[in-house]
Amino acid sequence: MRQHEKHYWRSPDEASGGSGAHCGDARDVDAWIEAPPGHVNRRDFLKAAGFALSAAATAGGCGKAPEQHVLPYLNHPEGTTPGRAAFYASVCGACEAGCGALVKCRDGRPIKIEGLPEHPLSRGGLCAAGQAALLGLYDAQRLRGARIEGRDTPWSGVDQALRARFEEVRRAGGAVRVLSRTVTSPTLQASIDRFLETFADGAHVVYDPLSVAAILDAHGATHGARVLPRYRFDRAEVIVSVEADFLGTWISPVAFTAAYSAGRRLDDNGPKMSYHVQFESRMSLTGTKADERRRIAPDEASSVLRALAGRITGEAGQSPFSEDSLKAELRTSLEALAKRLLDARGRSLVVCGSQDAEAQRLCNLINEALGNYGKTLDIRRPSMQKQGNDAALAGLLRELEEGRVAALVIIGLNPVYEIPGGACSAELLRRAGLVVYCGEREDETAAAAQFLCPDHHFLESWLDAEPVSGGVALRQPALRPLFQTRSVLESLHAWMGAPADAYDTLRAYWRDHVYPRATTADSFDTFWNRTLHDGFARLRGGLAQASLRDVPVPDPLPVPDPDPAAFTLTAYPKVGLLDGRHAYNPWLQELPDPVTKVTWDNYACLSVAAAKRLGVRDGDVVRIDAGDAALELPVCVQPGQHDRVVAVALGYGQTATARFAGLGPDWFGKRASVGEDGLVGKDVGPLLRIEEGLVRYERRGVTVTPTGTRVELACTQTHHTITVPPRLAPAGGLRRPILHETTLGAFAKDPKAGHPHAHHIFEGDLYPDDHPKRGHHWGMAVDLTACTGCGACVVACQAENNVPVVGRDEVRRKREMHWLRIDRYYSGEGDDVDVAHQPMMCQHCDNASCENVCPVLATVHTEEGLNAQVYNRCVGTRYCANNCAYKVRRFNWFTYRHDDPVENLVLNPDVTVRSRGVMEKCSFCVQRLQEAKIEAKRLGVKVTDAMTQPACQQSCPAGAIAFGDMNDPESAVSKRIASGRAFRVLDEINQRPSVTYLTLVRNRASDEAENHGRDAHATEGSGHHG
Amino acid sequence: MGGTPMRRKGAGIMADAQAPLRTPWILGEKRPIDVSNDICALLERKPTRLWWAALLASSTVLLIGMLAIGYQMATGIGVWGVNRTVGWAFDITNFVFWIGIGHAGTLISAILFLFRQKWRTSVNRAAEAMTLFAVMCAGLFPLIHMGRPWLFFWIFPYPNYRGPLWVNFRSPLVWDFFAISTYFTISAMFWYVGLIPDLATIRDRAKAGLRKKIMAFFSLGWNGSYRTWIRYEVVYLLLAGLATPLVVSVHTIVSWDFATSIIPGWHTTIFPPYFVAGAIFSGFAMVLTLMLIARKVMGLEDYFTLRHVDAMCKIIIVTGSIVGLAYLTEFFTAAYSGNPYEQFVFLNRAMGPYAWAYWIMVTCNVVSPQLLWFRRVRANLVAVFALSIVVNIGMWFERFVIIVTSLHRDYLPSSWADYTPTLIEILTLLGTFGLFFTCFILFCRFLPVIAIAEVKGVLTHGRSAPPLPHSQSDKTRHASEAFEEART
Repeated sequence: MRQHEKHYWRSPDEASGGSGAHCGDARDVDAWIEAPPGHVNRRDFLKAAGFALSAAATAGGCGKAPEQHVLPYLNHPEGTTPGRAAFYASVCGACEAGCGALVKCRDGRPIKIEGLPEHPLSRGGLCAAGQAALLGLYDAQRLRGARIEGRDTPWSGVDQALRARFEEVRRAGGAVRVLSRTVTSPTLQASIDRFLETFADGAHVVYDPLSVAAILDAHGATHGARVLPRYRFDRAEVIVSVEADFLGTWISPVAFTAAYSAGRRLDDNGPKMSYHVQFESRMSLTGTKADERRRIAPDEASSVLRALAGRITGEAGQSPFSEDSLKAELRTSLEALAKRLLDARGRSLVVCGSQDAEAQRLCNLINEALGNYGKTLDIRRPSMQKQGNDAALAGLLRELEEGRVAALVIIGLNPVYEIPGGACSAELLRRAGLVVYCGEREDETAAAAQFLCPDHHFLESWLDAEPVSGGVALRQPALRPLFQTRSVLESLHAWMGAPADAYDTLRAYWRDHVYPRATTADSFDTFWNRTLHDGFARLRGGLAQASLRDVPVPDPLPVPDPDPAAFTLTAYPKVGLLDGRHAYNPWLQELPDPVTKVTWDNYACLSVAAAKRLGVRDGDVVRIDAGDAALELPVCVQPGQHDRVVAVALGYGQTATARFAGLGPDWFGKRASVGEDGLVGKDVGPLLRIEEGLVRYERRGVTVTPTGTRVELACTQTHHTITVPPRLAPAGGLRRPILHETTLGAFAKDPKAGHPHAHHIFEGDLYPDDHPKRGHHWGMAVDLTACTGCGACVVACQAENNVPVVGRDEVRRKREMHWLRIDRYYSGEGDDVDVAHQPMMCQHCDNASCENVCPVLATVHTEEGLNAQVYNRCVGTRYCANNCAYKVRRFNWFTYRHDDPVENLVLNPDVTVRSRGVMEKCSFCVQRLQEAKIEAKRLGVKVTDAMTQPACQQSCPAGAIAFGDMNDPESAVSKRIASGRAFRVLDEINQRPSVTYLTLVRNRASDEAENHGRDAHATEGSGHHG
Repeated sequence: MGGTPMRRKGAGIMADAQAPLRTPWILGEKRPIDVSNDICALLERKPTRLWWAALLASSTVLLIGMLAIGYQMATGIGVWGVNRTVGWAFDITNFVFWIGIGHAGTLISAILFLFRQKWRTSVNRAAEAMTLFAVMCAGLFPLIHMGRPWLFFWIFPYPNYRGPLWVNFRSPLVWDFFAISTYFTISAMFWYVGLIPDLATIRDRAKAGLRKKIMAFFSLGWNGSYRTWIRYEVVYLLLAGLATPLVVSVHTIVSWDFATSIIPGWHTTIFPPYFVAGAIFSGFAMVLTLMLIARKVMGLEDYFTLRHVDAMCKIIIVTGSIVGLAYLTEFFTAAYSGNPYEQFVFLNRAMGPYAWAYWIMVTCNVVSPQLLWFRRVRANLVAVFALSIVVNIGMWFERFVIIVTSLHRDYLPSSWADYTPTLIEILTLLGTFGLFFTCFILFCRFLPVIAIAEVKGVLTHGRSAPPLPHSQSDKTRHASEAFEEART
C-alpha cells in the first residue's frame, strides 16, 4: 500500500502531468492563474503566503500522503501548473470500438474521460461505458499484482516460472492457444502472433462476447473476405435495420450515433433527414429513434430480409424469395420500403444484427443489389472492431474438452462467464495444462487460472488501435500504474525471453510497420509526435476490393409453427453494461436503462399483451425455463416488444457484483443492492447456446411461468407516458404539452409544427427582476430529434460533478442523485408505441420558483443567469425541490460515504463533495464556466462556445446539446433558440427556463392531423402508471 | 386575599349578571369558595394511580419519539419515506396539524373573550395550555425536517458573522418562523397572565414550602386589590386584542407555505380562510377530547357542563361546514380554471392512488360532523368524544392529502412517485402525542385546569337574581333533567 502511494502523485515521465500536493484548494490555485505574471504586490504576497501555509496544513492534515509530497517541485515538470488540467489524447478502452478519448488529468491523475472532438469516428462523443471506465482505474478491487496459484508473486518470479513452463510446452510440441477479445491494436496483435510463432502449434482464438461473427462469416461466403464492413450511416438516406441496435450497443454505437445524427440535421441550411426503418423483436434504443418501427419475431428476421431481397432484385414471390410466412401488413410495408430503397440506390443501408447466417447473407445480397458496397458500407477498408470467430471458439472448446491444449493464455476476456451456455466452465479450463490469465479483476476465470498476470488499465498503458482499417490511434498512459500490474505487451515479450518496454515495442512497431503506411512525408518522429498529440492518424492502403460472388440463395428452411404458449428468449446487451465486462462499475449499474429506466437488476421484458396473457405486471417474478436451464427474474413490461419474446439483459449475475452487497447508506431500513444470491441480477448465459458455429442470442421454445413472488424493480421512472391516466384526465388535459413532436412533412410546411397553441404568458412578476444579465446569459438547447437517450451525458455529469452512487434500495425509494436524467415517454396504444427521450436537468429559470422559497438564500440567481446552489448555506428544508416544476433537485438524504482512498482519487477537485442534508442539482458545470472565463480573460479573448462545454454536451455523440451565451447572437444556443422548433418546457407557468428544447421530428409520411388524433386517443401504454 | 374579584356593576366583562331564565354555566350552586376548593383540591391531593399510569404511558411514548428523532438526526432524513418528488410528507403534515390544534386555544381565550362568551371561562385555561403544547409539538417539525437541523438558527434574522448573507424575506418559511414564534410568545404570555390570580390563590392556600415559594414567585406579588384587578383586566383585554389577529394570521401564513408555491393543489388563494377554519375545527375537536376526559377523570362535571359541550359542538359544525365548502370550492375552482394540471390534481386526489386518504378526510371532516346537528348526539358525551377524535383524524388526513397528493404527481409525469411513511416517521408522530399528553398531564397536576378567578365571574351565586333553590323551580327543571339524564 505504501509502495502504491508513492506512485499516485508522481507523473509518468512520458505523460508529464501532475503536481505534488493533492489536497490544496483548487480555487486558490485558480486565483494564481488569474493574476498576470510578474505583478506581485504586498497583498498578493500575503495571500500567497497564506495559501502556501494553508495548503501545507490541509495537505498535512490528510494524513495519508507521505510528507515529502507536500513540498513543491524542486524541478517543476515542464508544462504543468498545479490546479490546471492537462489533457491527453488517447483511445478509449471500454470496448473495442476504439473511440477517441481525451483524458483530463488534474495533479497527475485522470479525473475525467471525454470524447476527442477531432476524432474521425467518434467525432467527440463518448458513451456511458467509456465515461465510466475511469472508475475502473480507481477500482480498489482490481488485481494489484501477479499471482501464482493464488499466492502474490513478484513479476520476476512469475516470468521465471512461466518461461520454464512455456519451454516445457515448446519442447513437447504442445498446443498453445491465446484466447482474447478482438484485438484492435496492431502492435499487440503482432506480439501475440510472434509469441505464438515460437510454438509448433500456436493459435489465436478471438471471441467477442457480443458476437457479430455471422456478419463476418457471411462476407466470407458472399464476398470471399471474412471482414466486418465499415458502416457509413451518415451517407445513407434510407436506413433499414433488422435487429441491429446500432445506436445503443452494436459494434460501435458512438461512431454510428455521430454519423446517424450527421445524416439527420434539420437546422442547417439544407435540412436533411434520413429515413430509418427498424424491424425488431424487442424495444431497443435504436428502435426508439426509428421513423418507422415494425415488431417482428426474432426468427422472422431472415423472412423479412428474404422478402425485401426479392422485391429489390425483382424476383419477389419467386423461389427462393417466398413471402408466405409473412403477415399481410408486413408485406405491404415491405413493398413501400423496397421502393424507397430502390430510389436511394447507393444512398441506402441495410444492416442486420441477427446471429443468423442466412439473414446476414441476404443482407449482403440486398446491399449489393442496391449498390451500397463502397458507398454506405465499406469492405475495402473494413471495421476491425469485431473480429471474433465463433467457430474457432467452438474448436477451442472442443480441444479443451479433449485435453489437447497444453497452455492457454487468456487476455482481457472472462471466458468462464462470457462464453454462453456454461460451455467454458472452470473445470474445462483446468483441463488445459497451463492457464495464464491476463485480466484486471479476480473474476470467474481468475479462479480457474494458475497464473494471474493482471494487465494495466487502459489509462495506464501504452498501446495503439486500428478500429477501422487505415485509421490508427495511439493510446498513451495518463498516469503511472497505480498497482503492480503490467501491460500484456510487456508480459508477452517477457515470456518470449526478450523483455521489452511497452513504449519501445510500440514505437518500434510503428517505425517498421505503421509509419511506412503514413500519408505524410514527415519524419517518423514528427509523425509519432503528431499522432500522439492528435490521438489518431490516417494510413494508406486497404484490402483488395472484394466483389459479390455468385452464391445461390438457399430456399428458406421450413420454420416450425411456433408453439403459442412458448416464448423465444432474446438476450440483449444493455447500454453501459454491454456484455457485462463493466458489471463491477457502480456508475453503470446505476445508470437507468435508456428504455426501461430500470437500474441495478436485469429482468424479463414482456410485451404488454404477453404480460396480460400471463397475468403478470412489473415486478412479478417469472421462471424462464429452457429445459436444460432456467432462471427466475422479475417482469418488466415493455411496450413495443414482440408478444412471443422474453428479453433478458446480458452481463448480470457476475461474481464481480458481490462487492455491491454493502453499497449505499447504512441504516436499519436498508436493503442490499444485490439479490439473494449475493449478486446483481441473474446470468442469462446458461440459457444460450453456440449453434452451428455461431453464438446465438435467441433461444426458441422457452416457457415463462409466473412464480407468484414479487421483486421491486429499482426504476427511476414509474409513469411512462405524458398522457395522464384517462380516468383522471380533465377535459383536454390527457396529453401534457411538455414534449413536442411532429413529422418531417409537417415540419417542412411549418417549422413551428407540433407546438400547441401558445398560451398567453403573464409577463409581470411579484418581485422585480434584479438580475439584468448584461454580460453572459448562459443557456442550453437540447435537440430532441438528435437525442437518442443513450445516457452518455448522465454518466458524464456524474463523473464531472462527483455525483454519488446510492444503491438499488435508494433508487427504489426514488432517491437517485443524477443531476441529469433522461425522461422517456411512450405514446400510442398497447405495444404500438412511439418513444421520445427528453434530457432533463436544472432549467436555470430566470424566474425560478426555487429561489423565492429558500429561507436562507442557499439557492440564488447569478448575474449570468445561473441558478446557483450554495451548499454551505443550505440547511435542507427541501422546499426548493418541492417547488421545482421540473423536479430536478436532488437531496443528500444520507452521508454518501467516500471512504476508500483509492476510489476517492476519481473525485473532481473542482467540485465540492456534498455532505448530508444539503440540496444539489445541475450547475451548468459552473466550474468549467469559471475556468473558461478566467482563461479568456488571461488570453484577452472572447468566451466562445467551444470553451464553455458542460460535461453533458462534451460527451454527447449525437450533438444533441448546445450550450453557450444567449446574449451572443452568434452562439449555437442562440441560433437554436431562434429556430422554429424551439420550445420551453412548461413555458406557461412563467419560470422562464434557460433550457430550450427543439421539437422531435420523425421522418414520417403521416400528417399532423393524424398524429394529433393518435395522441388524443392515446392511453396508458401498459398499465405502468403507479 | 385570594382570587375573589371585586364586583362592580358593569365593571368587568366577567361580572355580568346571569340571565335567570338560562341554565347556569356552572352547576352545583357553587359559591366562590367552592370553586377555589374544588379546583385547588385537584392540585393539593396526592396524585392518583390513574395519573401516574397516564404519565408513565405518555412519557414512554414521548421517549420512543425522542429516540426516533435522535436516530433520524444521527443518520439523516433518509430514514423517512420522503423522496426526490415528495419532499415533505409526515413532517409538514404533523406541523400543520399541531399548529391547527393550537388555534382553538387562542380563539377561546381571545376572540370569545372579546365577544363576551361567558362559557369560555370553563375551558380557556385548558385550551390555552393545549395551544402551548400543540405549538411546541408543531415547532419541533420545522426543526427536525431540516437536512442540517443543527444550523436551524440560520433562518433567524440577526446580525451575524456569516458573511453578507441574510435571510430571504421572500420565503414563506421565514414568514412562518415569525408567525409561529410570535404566536408562541403571545400565547404563552396570555396564558401566564391569565394564570396569575389563580397562582396567587394556590400560593395563599399552600403551606410553607416549595410550592408556596414557587407560586409566590410566579404570582408576582398579586394582592387581589382593586387596583391590581383593574390593571390586570386592562392587560388581559389588551393581550386578547393582540392575540386575536394571530388566530387568523398564523394559519394564514402557514397556508402561504403552500399557496405561494407553484405546485398545482398548493397554489390556490382559498388556502388562508380554508386553513384558519380547519384549524379552529380541529382545535375545538381537540379541546373537546381533552375536556371530556378531564371532566370525567377529575370530576369537573359541574364546571364543564353539557352546555359547554353543546356550544363547542356548534362551532365544530360551523367550521366543519366551512371546511366542507372549501373542499367543494377547490373542485369548482379547478374545473372553472381550465388549467389541466390543476384539474388533474383534484381528480387525482379523489380517484388516484391516495383516494383512500382523501375519502377518509371527507368522511371524517364533512360527513360525520353532520351528526352534531342532532341535539341528542350533542348531548351524548360518548358520541361527542368519538366525533371529536374522528374530526382530528380527518384533519390530519386533510394536511396529508394536501401535501402528499399535490407533490406526488405534479407537472412532469416522469417524476411522479409515491410515498409511504417509515416506522421512524410514525414513531415521531406518536412521540409528539407523547410530548403533548405528558405536558398536559403535568399541567393538570400542577396548575389549575380551570380558570378559578374567571369562573367565579360567571357563578350565579350572589347575583341580584335569586339563586336557584335546591328544590328546583319549574322554570329550570326540564333543562336540568335533560342534563342529568345525559350525565347518567
